[in-house]
Amino acid sequence: MNGPVRRVSVGVFAGFFALLLAVTWIQVIRADSLRADPRNSRPALSERGKERGLIVAIDGTVLAQSVPNPEDERSFVRQYPEGEPFAHVVGYNSFLVGSSGLENAYADQLRSRRDLTISDLVSVILGRDLRPESLELTIHSALQRAAYQGLNGLKGGIVALDPRTGAVLVSVSSPSYDPNSLLGGDAAVVWESLLADPNGPLLDRATREIYPPGSTFKTVVTAAALDTATAVPETIFPDPEEFQLPGSTATISNAGGGVCNNGESITLLLAFIVSCNTTFADLSVQVGAEDVGISAEGMGFNTDIPFPWTVPEAVYPIDLLAADPAALAQSGIGERDVRAAPLHMALVAASVANDGMTPTPYLVNRIFDADGNTVETFQPGVLSQAMDPATAAILNDMMQQVVSDGTGQGAAISGYAVAGKTGTSMGRDGFPNPWFIGFAPAEDPTIAIAVFFEGGEELGEDVSGGGVAAPLAGDLMELWLEGSP
Amino acid sequence: MTRNTEGALIVAASVLAAFGVTLVNFAQDRSLDAQTALTFLVFLIAFGGLHLAVRAFAPKATPLLLAPVTALTALGFFQIYRLDLAMETDRASFQRWWILIAATLASLTLLVFKGTTISILRRYRNITLLVSLALILLPNLPADWGFPLRGLSVNGSRLWVLLDVGFTSFQFQPAELAKLGLVAYVAGYLADHQRALREAKRHIGPIAFPEPRQLIPLLITWGVSVLILISQRDLGASLLLFVGFVLLLYAATGTTGYLVAGGFMGLVAGVASYLAFDHVQRRVIAWVAPFEHYEDEGFQIAQGLFALGTGSLSGAGPGLGRPDLIPNASTDFIFAAVGEELGFAGTVSVIALFAVTVAVGLGIAFRSRDTFRKLFAAGLSFVLAVQTILIIGGILRLVPLTGITLPFMSYGGSALVGNLILVALLLRISHEEAP
Repeated sequence: MNGPVRRVSVGVFAGFFALLLAVTWIQVIRADSLRADPRNSRPALSERGKERGLIVAIDGTVLAQSVPNPEDERSFVRQYPEGEPFAHVVGYNSFLVGSSGLENAYADQLRSRRDLTISDLVSVILGRDLRPESLELTIHSALQRAAYQGLNGLKGGIVALDPRTGAVLVSVSSPSYDPNSLLGGDAAVVWESLLADPNGPLLDRATREIYPPGSTFKTVVTAAALDTATAVPETIFPDPEEFQLPGSTATISNAGGGVCNNGESITLLLAFIVSCNTTFADLSVQVGAEDVGISAEGMGFNTDIPFPWTVPEAVYPIDLLAADPAALAQSGIGERDVRAAPLHMALVAASVANDGMTPTPYLVNRIFDADGNTVETFQPGVLSQAMDPATAAILNDMMQQVVSDGTGQGAAISGYAVAGKTGTSMGRDGFPNPWFIGFAPAEDPTIAIAVFFEGGEELGEDVSGGGVAAPLAGDLMELWLEGSP
Repeated sequence: MTRNTEGALIVAASVLAAFGVTLVNFAQDRSLDAQTALTFLVFLIAFGGLHLAVRAFAPKATPLLLAPVTALTALGFFQIYRLDLAMETDRASFQRWWILIAATLASLTLLVFKGTTISILRRYRNITLLVSLALILLPNLPADWGFPLRGLSVNGSRLWVLLDVGFTSFQFQPAELAKLGLVAYVAGYLADHQRALREAKRHIGPIAFPEPRQLIPLLITWGVSVLILISQRDLGASLLLFVGFVLLLYAATGTTGYLVAGGFMGLVAGVASYLAFDHVQRRVIAWVAPFEHYEDEGFQIAQGLFALGTGSLSGAGPGLGRPDLIPNASTDFIFAAVGEELGFAGTVSVIALFAVTVAVGLGIAFRSRDTFRKLFAAGLSFVLAVQTILIIGGILRLVPLTGITLPFMSYGGSALVGNLILVALLLRISHEEAP
């Protein structure tokens, strides 16, 4: 009788073996995907109430901090004391709606490592510090606040960089939201209402949305023309009312209609200063998609720019435009297929300001531990050499004349030479998007900026980059120059 | 291994239970409180007492069985305590009382058989059967009559009786005891009819089938299982008894035809119950596609898998996971709760401890010379093994979830009483069969 008992026993232990295989499959092989399933709230819940590191601006202003929970002394609550102006950069860390911004990108550094796991115990024995690390940003809080106020609740984004290093001084998007409102028990409701808001307060219009850059893109076309010796500032172009698009019956006309100069001829310099569309449509075709593309890519187009979060690539579709001269002409004035975020256009300005070298933008200056000791410092880098230094010098001079004599006069600052370029691109529902890019002081730039407003009902149809964006850029650069050490 | 080693291991397992409770307290930032000492004392008194009862009443019993059982109870208890803190329930103190009661009843079982032999269960097997059937039907008593013993429905299954003794009331699942009686009855019946059953064979092809007349015991067990399924809507207990009995029939006779016929009858009953009962359908849906039915049928299984996956290799740590997110964690899903906080290390330990317990039980069966004791020990071990594999397999999605408890670990007094008496019976058989 032991025979059948033995056979059943073998079956029973095959059953136990099957349990071991199944538990290995679930807890070892499939563990990561089960843990990461968005319906599994455990990872977020385990973060809840734990201390996180500080996020401070370069001037020491606290942007995010954990303070002891008054209702429960063994847990912490997160606070964002500066609120809306910093919301898109700092982000939030909510157990209900997840995390974003730097709170998400630097989660590993900001979180407490005191989880009492075996690896934590090993770390303690090895003397490692389990307290959360903190971030010091490159952002200047006063300039950031001023930029947010300057946008005045309208849709838009501003990015300012130190052109010498790529340090991001300002990255602001409007309208914004209060990240503190996503921390409470009603976060999901707040989240839904923010998502439903037609003004899109959750959108980061500074670094994570791309728009047609309009005439600010003429800076790129000019750099390509100078680099390839297709033209010099004194080169004379025809001055028609309309430019006939090659291979098409459509035409390009100038802002406000009419000719740009005398109806006979116009120099490249004057065309740049008054932002003449017909000249740049012509020039774009003359330079060609490939050479404009080289300059554009040198300034950060079609490039995956390293940043704490994924920045959408600025678009200049070289192959497409090489095959379509009409589109190439329209792209010469920053329309049609060209797209960029304010971050990219700030890099274009920075590239001219920095002798043709495009700096790598960075937001986090250093990471420091709970005792204030630096753990890691960001080393400034160069994205690429976008143009010849001589080209940058000529372009710098041309951009100064835009502000002194041309469309960008609103950006002028008394006592300083300012360089810039305006733009007014075709936005949603036909409303114009005002743009301005520029830098100051022109002879030794310490700030490069891109100011963008998204066109819409509130802004109206009669706005231009020179009228709206240039004055705000001028105010912000003046604040920087007057206040900077 | 000697009896003294067993004693030392029981003390170690008691320390394990108290240590688990203490770690949970620290993890939840509670200070060291009376729970630690209370837990240690209850385990020491209950299992230490059972250990002393074995020394006194069944001194020749195997010393291998009590230690793994104590360890399993300790692992389950610490998780019940941990879930209490999250759910703001007070199950741990109930469970502590039940551990004491169950150990006392197991000791009494050893005492009862001291003066006699376990073979009296074989002699009076018809009485055992009647008592077991009465126990199974007890929950079908009216829930609202004046008599202090009433039936009770919990979660749609009518498995409970409520004993109202005036100042307080007890809830009890009589099927947990009936399980043991039915195994004893079947083992006794098979021991008496073994020869006839084995020799009356009819060969169809390579498979030996019993004479139709000899299928009667199989039909009876099948009938009892179906009765439980219909009257009490309890898929788990029904399946457990049926599989256990078919295995025992096969073990007694070596007739493969019983496995084939039993498998066929089980399949028929399974398909029929799937068609007839929506709670069976829901279980199957949750088994096949828990994540596609996350909002309703699949929620519990999906949460169990999330718990196990998040626990991963080393677990969140005692008191640091969120096993309270799993519905009915302390009864049905205690295995997943342990897996979340103790990780793969914990789940493998649990499976290994069950495998050891079952192996010791089967070893007792192998070494038994008396047919009844052999079959009884084998049947008890089969039931323990099948129950463990069904519930853990249900959590791990190997089989549909059947809603039976994990022996020794799940919260619940009746199951603990039934399973510790099961252990006592195995110990008694081991004592009687010792050379």
